Amino acid sequence: MTDTPTPSPAQPALRQQVYDSSKRSHPSIEELTELVRFWELVIQWTRRNIKLRYKRSILGVVWTLLEPLMLMTILTVVFSTAFRFPTRDYPFPLFILSGLLLFDFFNRSTLQIVEETVASLGLASRIYVPRSVFAVATVLTYLVSWGIALIPLLGIMLVLRQPLSWAILTIPFGMLLTGLFALGVGLLVATLGAFFHDVKLTYQVLLTGWLYATPIIYPLEIVPPQFQKYFLLNPLLHLVALVREPIILARVAPLENWLAALGFSLAALALGWWVFTTQRNVFDYRS
Amino acid sequence: MTTAADTVPVGSTGDRQAVAAAIELTDIAVRFSMPTERIVSFKEYVLKRLSGKLEHRELWALRSLDLEVQPGEIVGVVGRNGAGKSTLLKVISRVLRPTRGRVVIRGQVAPLLELGAGFHFDLTGRENVFLNAALVGYPSRVVQEHLSEVIAFSELEEFIDLPIRNYSSGMLARLGFAVATMFRPDILLIDELLAVGDVGFQEKCLKRIHDFRSRGTAILLVSHQLDSISEHCDRALWIERGALKAEGPTDDVLQRYSEGFAES
Repeated sequence: MTDTPTPSPAQPALRQQVYDSSKRSHPSIEELTELVRFWELVIQWTRRNIKLRYKRSILGVVWTLLEPLMLMTILTVVFSTAFRFPTRDYPFPLFILSGLLLFDFFNRSTLQIVEETVASLGLASRIYVPRSVFAVATVLTYLVSWGIALIPLLGIMLVLRQPLSWAILTIPFGMLLTGLFALGVGLLVATLGAFFHDVKLTYQVLLTGWLYATPIIYPLEIVPPQFQKYFLLNPLLHLVALVREPIILARVAPLENWLAALGFSLAALALGWWVFTTQRNVFDYRS
Repeated sequence: MTTAADTVPVGSTGDRQAVAAAIELTDIAVRFSMPTERIVSFKEYVLKRLSGKLEHRELWALRSLDLEVQPGEIVGVVGRNGAGKSTLLKVISRVLRPTRGRVVIRGQVAPLLELGAGFHFDLTGRENVFLNAALVGYPSRVVQEHLSEVIAFSELEEFIDLPIRNYSSGMLARLGFAVATMFRPDILLIDELLAVGDVGFQEKCLKRIHDFRSRGTAILLVSHQLDSISEHCDRALWIERGALKAEGPTDDVLQRYSEGFAES
């Protein structure tokens, strides 16, 4: 090679300069500050996930657009011919699709957090990375897919001559809360799932039950009134309302739904974060 | 607290003031606690736990280790397999938290332990540079500025936009080294001097490592190849069963280490 190698520049001043193991804050706080410090990696990892999804499939982005359409067609046919739930003054396909897209996001992102956490054990045993990076990037990845899937939904709204209102601008906030909720649940399941294979299997079964326990493919009104109050304890019911009402009723979801969704999401996130961060030394010494 | 700051750094150049040690380990111990049998299901875990049959085997990978490395110093580490060398590197790179003791690391650590950890084979060389740099903590803006240097150093100009699944192992290692040493770190951890690429490239790597060192990087070199330790290191440590067996000028330590080997 040449005799004048480019001298590599000094490292950019970007990371904390002194690490002192005796000055550690509570693991939950520490992980949070580390996550902020590694935010660049979260973004890079999210972009990686998205790139990989599209590189692997021939149809790529088209698939993300097509999948919800196909799903909706099947479900609409099934539920509007076979079951015939009495819907009020909104198109049943939009009702189903708006709820299913949310559940699909929740379902996939929480399961993927478990996968990513287990997969990152290898990486994190070789180089130092805060583990929550991968979970957060997973949620961001699926939020992006969900956002893309809303495009055909808007198309369907136009086709069905569904009134569009400014209320749809609140949808991203509903999605964000759903993302926080999914992160909390995902971290919780991942902490146990990283050790035990059956945790993920059990959770998958629970997810199926959760889908049917949430008014997604049926309206809450068909539930006998005396049971409806129990349904309100389901965080997903409120989250679905936030995203669904602007689409089918052209209005912002009621305040009760917003407050309940916010409360459930923050509680789930706090619990998941706490469990994930306080148990993480256990990850290190996993045999 | 300031014990290290008070001592005069060995490797520093004259114009620099007394600098705090780059690596400062005080009474470090690392304990691994492993279940004696592998438990794979949660059901099994709960049952074992309830019946009190959950047993753990304790293993002290490091017992009580003190170490100080000054900026600009190259310290060699020798020891048998399982002596605790890798655990030591993991403690310094923050991958493991010590069970006991205190670790102080001043500055950015670049571990040359696993070149290309986090590489994804479906992504191109260029994409992997950004990803790998982000894993070490460099912002993409800065990486972008130095991208051409990284590519030039790795000698992969023609292949950088191909998925790395098409790379040879030598090409992967070259890319890994180029990314890991893109910027001068304050601390460099090396597990075996890399047999990366051809002789010309190895020379280039060594040159870069020595360039770092002359500009103040503290280097820890773990190796079983005693010649490379004696060639490059100012000082050496011999670790035996998780504790320091000898420390001092490289050749003395290496001699005692070889003799120790001959005896057993």
